[in-house]
Amino acid sequence: MKTKANPGLIPMRKRWFFALWLTLMVVGHAMAEDRLFSSNTPQLEDGKIVYRQYCASCHGTQGEGMPNWEGQNALGELPAPPHGPEGHTWKHSDAMLYRIIAEGWRDPWNKTDRLTMPAYQEILAPTEIRDVVNYLKSLWTQEQRRHQADESAENPFPIQTEIPPE
Amino acid sequence: MHMIVSRFLRVFLLTGLAAVSFGSAITALATEEGLLALQYDVTGKRLFKIEANQLFQRTDEGLVWNAIPLPEDVNEGQLRAVSVPSTDPQALYIAGPSIGVQRSTDNGETWQELSANLPSREVTALTVHRRQDETLYAVIAENGIYQSQDAGTTWKKMDSGPSQKVNRLVHSDMEGSMQTGWLYAVSDDAVRLSMDCFCGWRPTGELDAGSVYDMAYSLDNPKRVYVATQQGLWRSETGGQEWQPVAGDGTVLVALTLSPKGTLYGLNQKGELLRSEDEGQSWAYPDA
Repeated sequence: MKTKANPGLIPMRKRWFFALWLTLMVVGHAMAEDRLFSSNTPQLEDGKIVYRQYCASCHGTQGEGMPNWEGQNALGELPAPPHGPEGHTWKHSDAMLYRIIAEGWRDPWNKTDRLTMPAYQEILAPTEIRDVVNYLKSLWTQEQRRHQADESAENPFPIQTEIPPE
Repeated sequence: MHMIVSRFLRVFLLTGLAAVSFGSAITALATEEGLLALQYDVTGKRLFKIEANQLFQRTDEGLVWNAIPLPEDVNEGQLRAVSVPSTDPQALYIAGPSIGVQRSTDNGETWQELSANLPSREVTALTVHRRQDETLYAVIAENGIYQSQDAGTTWKKMDSGPSQKVNRLVHSDMEGSMQTGWLYAVSDDAVRLSMDCFCGWRPTGELDAGSVYDMAYSLDNPKRVYVATQQGLWRSETGGQEWQPVAGDGTVLVALTLSPKGTLYGLNQKGELLRSEDEGQSWAYPDA
């Protein structure tokens, strides 16, 4: 006598295949993400070059920031923060990071005439600003990148009409 | 004889220890029971008061505090915070240790628990964003600060918060933030400040005034901030960069809030309401 197979049950071999497929998907996605943000990939090289030229003098070659960056100095200025996991750059959306680099930012407790963060929109092209932000992402942990991606979902880079090079 | 003296000393010491312990317990109980909070509701033009684990409301002109019915599980916790959105007259949030965050959208008729996505119900402070009705910030004891952008349905950890215990959290739309505003965290020893992107906490100016109880800011001029301390009221015109004592009648308040018209309201240690129309220099009992 034949017994009817329970349609709700998946054969053991198929279950193993499904589990293997799921694992490979998760690991593959993580590896792809890591590759994307590895500072050695060509996509991020441009951003790294811009960073070294314009940002590293204050934020450090490795993004380590200035000493005592967490508090105001005697002039009320906030020293340049680190860009790695210990800093707070990863808490800002793409839109905000773009705006801060382009327009600069002045801390309201700053008692000097200087901006806390200088403006670079007259110096860097929009693509260079985006490249440098994408390079900074390579300095964060995977979890921080995920957090920042969530923040950026509703606040992405500004859409800009780029002037093509002649 | 030696034995009698020894027994007498032992009983004396034990009685003394018991008395000291009992005294501490009474003090702690009094502190717990005496937890007070005050919040002005701009849209409803009314005051909310937390006293003895209960929530009360009264209008600007009203003389009577009316109790708002609360969920039963509030009895098992410690009600510490009430916060209202800036434009929704019916919405009301409460929070506290073992209470979590709870919301009413019908002015207290019914309540919904909003702690499902929080790591615990040990909420020590709560505030609604000044301009965004659905953005909330909750401080979880020994964990950090969580933000919700959908009126408490989902929460996300934003920061570990100041290392000191936060008793009050207040969102301000003072200009100068990288994001949308600032968060003031009131601890026993000081008021600290962070932009609401959580880019680091900074101490506000020197405030040598003993314990700090509460703070409030002017809605029209957010740089004007008041802080209630053990040694009276202090004021800042710079968002807390510098503080000056308010020369007044020495009234000590443990809870403080400010109406848009500039009227300051406070609670003294007995939970009595006081009002000041001259920026905190003199205080009167509106019920008197």
